[in-house]
Amino acid sequence: MDIKFQGESLFPGQFGQFLIILSFGTALLSCISYFFATRHKEDTSWHKIARISFFINIASVIGIGSSLFYIIYSHLFEYHYAWSHSSRTLPVYYIISSFWEGQEGSFWLWMFWQSLLALIVLFRSKSWENPVMTIIMLCQACLASMLLGIEVFGERVGSSPFILLRQALEAPIFSNPNYLSMIADGNGLNPLLQNYWMVIHPPTLFLGFASMIVPFAYGIAGLWERKYKEWLKPALPWSLFAVMVLGAGIIMGSFWAYEALNFGGFWAWDPVENASIIPWFTLIAAVHVIIAFKNSGHSYFTATFLVLISFVLVIYASFLTRSGVLGETSVHSFTDLGMYWQLVAFNVVFLILMVYFLVTRWKELPITKKDEDTYSREFWLFIGALILVIACVQIIATTSIPVFNAIFKTKVAPPVDAIAHYNKWQAAFAILVLTLSAIGQFLKYKKTTPKVFYANLLISFIVSVLLTAILVYITKVYTNFIYILLSLAAIFSLVANARVLGDAFKGKWKLAGSSVAHIGFALLLIGALVAAATNKVVSLNASGSIPIAGFEDAEKPGENLFLYINEPIEMDGYTITYVGDSVANPNVYYKINYERKDKETGKIVERFQLTPNAQQNPKMGLIGTPSTRHYITKDIYTIVTSAPKLDEPTEQHDHGHEGHDANEGFEEPSTQMVNIGDTLRYKSGYIVVKGVNRNATLQNMPLANGDLLFALQLEVHAASGEVFEADPKYLIKNGNSFDFAKDINEQGLRLRFTKIVPDKGVELMIYQKALPEKKWVVMKAIEFPYINFFWCGTIIMTVGFLLSIFRRNKELKGKIA
Amino acid sequence: MKKGAILGIVIIAVAIAMIISIYTDSSTYASFNDAQKTEEEIHVVGELNKGKELFYKPTDNANYFAFYMVDNDGTECKVVFNGSKPQDFERSEQIVLTGKMVGEEFHASKILMKCPSKYNKDQVEVTESAASSV
Repeated sequence: MDIKFQGESLFPGQFGQFLIILSFGTALLSCISYFFATRHKEDTSWHKIARISFFINIASVIGIGSSLFYIIYSHLFEYHYAWSHSSRTLPVYYIISSFWEGQEGSFWLWMFWQSLLALIVLFRSKSWENPVMTIIMLCQACLASMLLGIEVFGERVGSSPFILLRQALEAPIFSNPNYLSMIADGNGLNPLLQNYWMVIHPPTLFLGFASMIVPFAYGIAGLWERKYKEWLKPALPWSLFAVMVLGAGIIMGSFWAYEALNFGGFWAWDPVENASIIPWFTLIAAVHVIIAFKNSGHSYFTATFLVLISFVLVIYASFLTRSGVLGETSVHSFTDLGMYWQLVAFNVVFLILMVYFLVTRWKELPITKKDEDTYSREFWLFIGALILVIACVQIIATTSIPVFNAIFKTKVAPPVDAIAHYNKWQAAFAILVLTLSAIGQFLKYKKTTPKVFYANLLISFIVSVLLTAILVYITKVYTNFIYILLSLAAIFSLVANARVLGDAFKGKWKLAGSSVAHIGFALLLIGALVAAATNKVVSLNASGSIPIAGFEDAEKPGENLFLYINEPIEMDGYTITYVGDSVANPNVYYKINYERKDKETGKIVERFQLTPNAQQNPKMGLIGTPSTRHYITKDIYTIVTSAPKLDEPTEQHDHGHEGHDANEGFEEPSTQMVNIGDTLRYKSGYIVVKGVNRNATLQNMPLANGDLLFALQLEVHAASGEVFEADPKYLIKNGNSFDFAKDINEQGLRLRFTKIVPDKGVELMIYQKALPEKKWVVMKAIEFPYINFFWCGTIIMTVGFLLSIFRRNKELKGKIA
Repeated sequence: MKKGAILGIVIIAVAIAMIISIYTDSSTYASFNDAQKTEEEIHVVGELNKGKELFYKPTDNANYFAFYMVDNDGTECKVVFNGSKPQDFERSEQIVLTGKMVGEEFHASKILMKCPSKYNKDQVEVTESAASSV
């Protein structure tokens, strides 16, 4: 049976789906044509076909993106992608983020960058175009296959972003031709991704991943065409570019985590973070040995191997993060889109490509049999690269525990304290790498005179020791020997590279790039070390954890502080007060005032307000976003970890309608005999009985003769300091008694004077309303000292890479032209 | 060749040390019964018992959260966490705890949960007001 569905606009999806198939076909055709163009150089027709199909490919990739963007932007919820990743309330700039929230969108992003990079390669690589583009278009075809969403021999290949909601899900409403009118809104974007960093972090990261194909393609092309040494020259600036962009992308992710996530830190060794840093490490190592090879002819195999493995590791990273294999080891939720084996195949294809060329060309590789001189830069560059690789192996090994579990059917859990486990190893590697980046600057290629070397080294080392002593004292990292060693190594690298930079200012500008990048890297590590080692939770429960059931012996005090509205609490030198909140849908901003007083004079020396926000997402609960006070030397990070639900109706009933019971809305009264001078407690204060007025009058009721009217004079002292007066009255008229209650609405009180018992006193009934629940919030605050080194270091390092790219590019042009 | 040999030995030594380190640092997935037998921190995988109440009263103690979890063997145990209630805990499908038994309670130092993410092809939401327009 065919149902005619109403209101669906099927064209953008069908058009997009057509473009996906077109892009897959053209990528494949381009790859094959470039392959034959490489084999048959005399026949230019292959080259023409390859180029034409590439241009169609790039157009269709842009077309896919536009169709998908149109679908999300127009809220066409008949499409699964729009329905599951966006909603009508989403601001336009986050529509961009929702574009790559799903795997399909991020694959598209990768394809898009790759085709732009391919365009540059096509116009600039000259004689390298055919072999290099063969490899790039092979990768492009692999990526396009991830979007196909077509059944081949009963297996679904890829996952299309243009699948309709009714095709993706099974639900009874899809039997209704008008189902679309019942779907009011999409699922919306994960609130954690609603952050401006999420608009720019993924494109940067994917540009980094995508650009790693270029050095890989050059490497394969060099082996394939037997141009063993030539390929390294054009590959070097591309490698530097990839390393720069990927590095910036990774740190942006870290900044996003710090600014928007609630795990309280900038790096957590989460498998997802590790997956992206592994290829970065190997390509950094590759860059160093390429330079060593260029200057000395040593380390050819290492350079080639590292360039090639880096891209294979990029694919491995996407296998880890996209196949669902990480399962419960990662806080990031990934689900298997049914592409597990396709991702494995993607990995295997490029691994085989690499192994095949390395093995078949092995005997022809220009590998020197000579040993490097110990006093040469190339030897220590090689050692440094080796250390980076070993560091990388450690990260891969621990991150891959779930992969080993999947292969060997074991059930090994990752380390309980993963951060400590990684830090233990990586700190040691970092010390070695930093030391080498310092020593390397004192060495020359081929041969260095030991005397000069040691003399230079010694001066810098002594300066570094002095500077380290100061740094360690100021930043208080002297508690741990490894921290001191790491600081020393970083400062040593900083001093040694600063000297080179000083020379650069004197005219040797060519050397500026590497020294700037090294300085940036050293600063970055100092920042990471100090912030990670000395950050402290400042919101420690000051009252001492209240001993409740079983936690008397808790080693650590609670890290969360409970704040009632307008009740200041002392926290680590600050007086903090939760003063209210403001709602800007869908976020609630909790205003927390910080005040610091001078200890002696008591004057307020500093005052600021932090507004951590939380989204009370109906699907995901309370999602907190921190607010951070930035100082030059430290950050104070504040996050709301719990708050009352907003939806709860506030206790503000309408009192306009007096029901059957005049005392409706009040709790059971307390009835007491009181005398003048007595003091009585009530929920939020106390009441003093001042006296009884025998000459009271009633406003609306003239008193007849014989009527007796008494007024009880009361003073109500609220806890807030306010004082109210009340005079409930008691009337005896014609032998009957009446009473006139007095309400104090501000305090939710009703007072009744109900009886006079001679000799004993008078009877007072106190009615109280249930206290409206006071607003409260639970927050956590962390101080991160000197984290600015981390961000500064990143920027400086990126600048250093940029300088190096310019230099290597100039070299390339100078030699080719 | 001598330098190469020394390098090789050093690398092998570091690699062995790393493997040992990863092996000793790695933990095991266990049940509450296994946790009862050991002093060490381990991982326990299970599901939240949604029939029993979650205990989190920030007004009393913002750092005490307790709930009942059923592990994969079907054993139920009270779990106590020294912190605030993780976001969206009620909706969790699977929980991975890191911690150890203290008496009859499991003291968790870390809670990791898998929520039914929206990527999961769960139910389509249908609003009532729109349904009336049919």
